[in-house]
Amino acid sequence: MSEIDKLQTEEFVLNMGPHHPSTHGVCRFVLKMEGEVIKDVEPVVGYLHRALEKICENRTYAQIIPVTDRFEYCTSMSCNMAFALAVEKLAAMEIPERAQYLRIIMLELNRIASHLIWFGTTALDLGAITPFLYGFREREFILDLFEMTCGQRLTYNYIRVGGVARDIPTQFVPKCREFLNIFDACVDDYERLLTENVIFVVRNKNVGVLPPEKAIAWGVSGPALRASGVKHDLRRDDPYCIYDRFDFEIPTCQNGDCYDRYIIRIKEMRESAKIVRQALDKLPEGETRAKVKMVFKPPAGEVYSRIENSRGEMGMYVISDGSTKPVRVKMRGGSYNQLQVIPEITRGHKIADLVAIMASMDVIMPEVDR
Amino acid sequence: MGIIKKLPVFLEKVPGGGIVTTSLDYIFSQSQASSLWYLLFGTACCAIELMATGASRYDFDRLGMIFRASPRQSDLIIAAGTITKKMAPRLRLLYDQMAEPRYVIAMGGCTVKGGPFYYDSYAVEKGIDHIVPVDVYIPGCPPRPESLLEGCLTLQKKVKRLKMQDWS
Amino acid sequence: MDREQLIKYIQDKFPGKVTLLDCGRVEPFFKVELGFLKEFCQAIRDDTTLGMDYLCNIAGVDSGEHYEVVYSVASVKNKIRFDFKIFPERENPAIDSVIDVWPGANWYEREVWELYGINITGHPSLKRFLLPDDWNQGHPMRKNWDAPDFVRMPEN
Repeated sequence: MSEIDKLQTEEFVLNMGPHHPSTHGVCRFVLKMEGEVIKDVEPVVGYLHRALEKICENRTYAQIIPVTDRFEYCTSMSCNMAFALAVEKLAAMEIPERAQYLRIIMLELNRIASHLIWFGTTALDLGAITPFLYGFREREFILDLFEMTCGQRLTYNYIRVGGVARDIPTQFVPKCREFLNIFDACVDDYERLLTENVIFVVRNKNVGVLPPEKAIAWGVSGPALRASGVKHDLRRDDPYCIYDRFDFEIPTCQNGDCYDRYIIRIKEMRESAKIVRQALDKLPEGETRAKVKMVFKPPAGEVYSRIENSRGEMGMYVISDGSTKPVRVKMRGGSYNQLQVIPEITRGHKIADLVAIMASMDVIMPEVDR
Repeated sequence: MGIIKKLPVFLEKVPGGGIVTTSLDYIFSQSQASSLWYLLFGTACCAIELMATGASRYDFDRLGMIFRASPRQSDLIIAAGTITKKMAPRLRLLYDQMAEPRYVIAMGGCTVKGGPFYYDSYAVEKGIDHIVPVDVYIPGCPPRPESLLEGCLTLQKKVKRLKMQDWS
Repeated sequence: MDREQLIKYIQDKFPGKVTLLDCGRVEPFFKVELGFLKEFCQAIRDDTTLGMDYLCNIAGVDSGEHYEVVYSVASVKNKIRFDFKIFPERENPAIDSVIDVWPGANWYEREVWELYGINITGHPSLKRFLLPDDWNQGHPMRKNWDAPDFVRMPEN
């Protein structure tokens, strides 16, 4: 045995975050390292805990919708949707047809916008700057569409209890079609940048492998679950709104590593564009909002409703006691479980791989901290 | 920094030194104002707008602003997003790590005065101006990229007026 | 399996220990006896007809009079979903941990412990989670909680 082999590496603790560009917000990792290898990770969260749930207890149902916007700002539409859906289930409300279709269009456009942020930041974390500029270029088109509909770029407050806030302007449909016409070529562009890029592939293949049984047991959902080979999508398995009327694929992969999670999201963008196209074709005329009383009081009861947003299962658990304010609103985001499982799949990898895993899981902190 | 601060005091005694001082003031402030490197510090929703401002359409680089990941290389913190009580000491730490002269932009309602989390929230710091000194406030929830750009231009104007003695 | 079948199946399987509550209109809500929680969770996960392998959510609730802890579970294979809740005592509330059944319950339980002060028996790491490390103002999600700098929104 040579002198070198006898040397012992001491275990040491390394702090990463809470202000670290790759943690997508403010998450801190306490890493137990042995040389370059990660022995254990402990995520420390709470740096963005804004007490949304406490705020909701003292707001009326209409006032809660803007609060849910801040719960998951990359896909605010689906937060609005999850809450509106929960309240509509409580009140057993009928939603006008046109509003249903508008909701689908907005949700899917928002899913694309969110995946574009993920695409840009993932590449940025792994050291490529160009994809970031590409992704945000197309995202601006979608934001223009949202802006002409509801006047906001990020926190929309558009999907309300009983329908949507207002009808779309007349330029919306042609503009949206224009976007969809160029979008497929744009996704090809993205793929040309990363899919076969040697550095990207080496850094992602066989990194952070998440077996399907483990994924389900830890409550992982969304693209991360489908990358592990579980064909589970709430749009199909627990249909809400009118998703059962559309024809779309649910992409799955087999390995469950970072690269597969990348592939899934790229494919999902194409599928979302497909859904928007169908919805635009079928868009009926009519009312955009059911009659909702000014002082809205849903009947007493409780409901947990869940939808599939771009990060997985987004759930809203609402308790109503029949008054104007809910007793309790609990928000559940997909990132919560995705961040929780990271220690399980990071052990034995290097620090740089932790960045890749974190990026591929698409964790966003307000969903965890709320 | 100490030498530069004392420079005007020495130059005053030299005949014609005032011209040198004002010219140096001009050069320093112009070059500072046109290369304000900002710290990549985003906590919440505003961070996405900050990213959008840095990306293709709005293009922060036009103002000479590039993001830096380390506080030691940056001149400016754009505090984008809610600062909670748990995060506040970290913001102060980052500010203390920056080299002088340093500036702070409070972006968004949360950093100005608590924003939508002013009432009923037990965890949000109600304005960051009692943690770090703020130069420019940008209201909005979140502010549009145009307002952020306008805020940065306002800061540039402020920086251009600064004299060597004022550096903090 | 539709709603009626599910209710009947669960009530037949666990007679006396599980009762149906009338609060859920879409998915059924059950009440589980306090001491029976862990056994119940184990049973519904291992049962082949139910196979509740996926824990969606755990929510603590303070209704003013009593505490509740609500579990939302689902089955990825069988596409079933229902909720059940347990009622810890008002004084020194404590429940069993279900980490052994669903490892994903870990953080949810920490959150319930921190924000509601409901003790989780058998949880491996009950330590500060969302609140600052030096927090000493109690459990903020309780209804009667108050603090000096806590501002309530004025009515109109």
